[in-house]
Amino acid sequence: MMQKRVKRVSRGDTGKGGSRYLSALAGGMAVTLGHMLGNLSDIRSVETLEYPEEEPGDITSRYRGLHRLTHREDGTIRCVACFMCATACPAGCISIEAMERDDGIAEKMPAKFRIDLLECIFCGYCVEACPCDAIRMDTGIFSIIGREREDFIMDRDRLLSHRGAFGEEDSRG
Amino acid sequence: MSGATIFFSIFSLILAALLALLTIPVLVWLERRVCALIQDRLGPNRTNIYGFRLGGVVQSFADVVKLLFKEEYYPSHISYGRWIFILAPIITFASALLAFMVIPFADDIRMGSESFPICALPIEYGILWYMAISSVGVTGMVLGGWLSHNKYSLLGALRAVSQMIGYELALGLGIVSMIATYGTVNLNEMVAWQSTTVASVIPAWGVLIQPLAALIVITALFVETNRAPFSVVEGESEIVAGVFTEYSAMKFAMFFMGEYVAMNGASAIIVTLFFGGYQLPWVSTEWMVEHIVTVAVLFMIVIVPFTRYFISWMRRNNRVRLTVSTDGGRDFETAVLEKAIVLFAVVAEILALTVAFLPSDSEWIPIAVAIVQIFVFIVKLMIFNIFFIVVRWTLPRFRYDQIQILGWKYLLPLSLVNIFVTAIVVVGVS
Repeated sequence: MMQKRVKRVSRGDTGKGGSRYLSALAGGMAVTLGHMLGNLSDIRSVETLEYPEEEPGDITSRYRGLHRLTHREDGTIRCVACFMCATACPAGCISIEAMERDDGIAEKMPAKFRIDLLECIFCGYCVEACPCDAIRMDTGIFSIIGREREDFIMDRDRLLSHRGAFGEEDSRG
Repeated sequence: MSGATIFFSIFSLILAALLALLTIPVLVWLERRVCALIQDRLGPNRTNIYGFRLGGVVQSFADVVKLLFKEEYYPSHISYGRWIFILAPIITFASALLAFMVIPFADDIRMGSESFPICALPIEYGILWYMAISSVGVTGMVLGGWLSHNKYSLLGALRAVSQMIGYELALGLGIVSMIATYGTVNLNEMVAWQSTTVASVIPAWGVLIQPLAALIVITALFVETNRAPFSVVEGESEIVAGVFTEYSAMKFAMFFMGEYVAMNGASAIIVTLFFGGYQLPWVSTEWMVEHIVTVAVLFMIVIVPFTRYFISWMRRNNRVRLTVSTDGGRDFETAVLEKAIVLFAVVAEILALTVAFLPSDSEWIPIAVAIVQIFVFIVKLMIFNIFFIVVRWTLPRFRYDQIQILGWKYLLPLSLVNIFVTAIVVVGVS
């Protein structure tokens, strides 16, 4: 059955003494020169993104951007400080300090929740590991700028302040 | 030694140095831009000085500054032979530079009984000098590869030598058939030979008279310059960076610049041997001196549409897409460059007009002809440099054994046959 779908392509006759090579060479040169002269006569036909001025418009909800911590319906933090993300993290960039939660919604919540973005490899395992959808990477932010190393350590309040770019229902998993 | 001799010697030296050295940043930029355009990208186009980006060529100068200030690094085992380690890239660079010096940029300027060559090193045996000096470059690669004490570097050096031996023969024999055809080893006389015509229609260019030798020599020169499709010496995908692995900063840049000077020299040799050198087709220097008025008027006519087209091309292309918010000073640059180009064209027109009204025995006429020839030479040189670049970005690299097979089994016998046939024809004609 599978054999029928195998398409055998002959290696082609290279000709005596590689004589085919010269014609193939000329054909290849025609293609590259055509591209070069075509783009040279109208530079705006080149479809590249003028990045700092133009933002990429093709970031989907599955794109793993900057992390955020999600909120409950009443606006409080969803995280229960179970350490699943920190355990799953292959780079070891998440550090959590837990505290007791008094309002009866859950038993625990994080007192400190830090992600070192200089260590993070943006693999998304923390999102996969989280049992209560408390951490997500759906902000669509791909460019993170800082002047000092400390600027790249995201603490709990900064992670909570990030907003999802694609609505609540997307990228839940 | 008269004042004119000194003047023309210094002038040719400066011209040769400019053509060899100032073209390096331009060629590096051309390589990146041409490659980008072939692959439907833009290439470096953002580095600028006060908004002047000149199409991105400023990037090359920024790269040079970066390389100059980079930390000097030496492999730790080099404690005594450090000066040889530094000498290696200098040998490669210097040999490429010296080999370029014999190229004539224009015909000898004849004033009365005196004659001044426009050539930095006006020696009688020009082509032999090129063959001798350009192959010295491989010595630097061997020294560098060996001293690096690194298996990849040593492999690169081995490849450089074996490749050089294989192709130096084909190159030499190909050039020998050209020497037999022209009957001289003087590059200037070779060009003079090519300014005649065959059957008074076809220009007697080497490529039309000896197409097989042209193919062999051009292929061998690609190997000589270590450029793709024969770049196994560097072999990025196999042996890290070959000879250059342990080199950094300006020492690496020396190797890198040597490659571009060698490419420039190879283009110059191709132009001189096979494509009529500094001559326009069908036109000899004597004809141009006699009909200087015609030449000047034609020049004045040609310059107008050329300038107009260049300015309109720049207006169309020196800008960003409509969706982009800022043009980064491109409009300002276009406006200033337009004025500069128009000014340049007007000056050229006035000069051409002056030349057209010179008395026919004026000694400025041969100088004007020489300037036209230098211009023609530079245009041809750049066309072949771009040819080198396009070939690099078109052809996949040969495998190492394929290179050896091509060199020893095809090019060498072909060049021998070519010499044989050439010898019969040359003897038969004379």
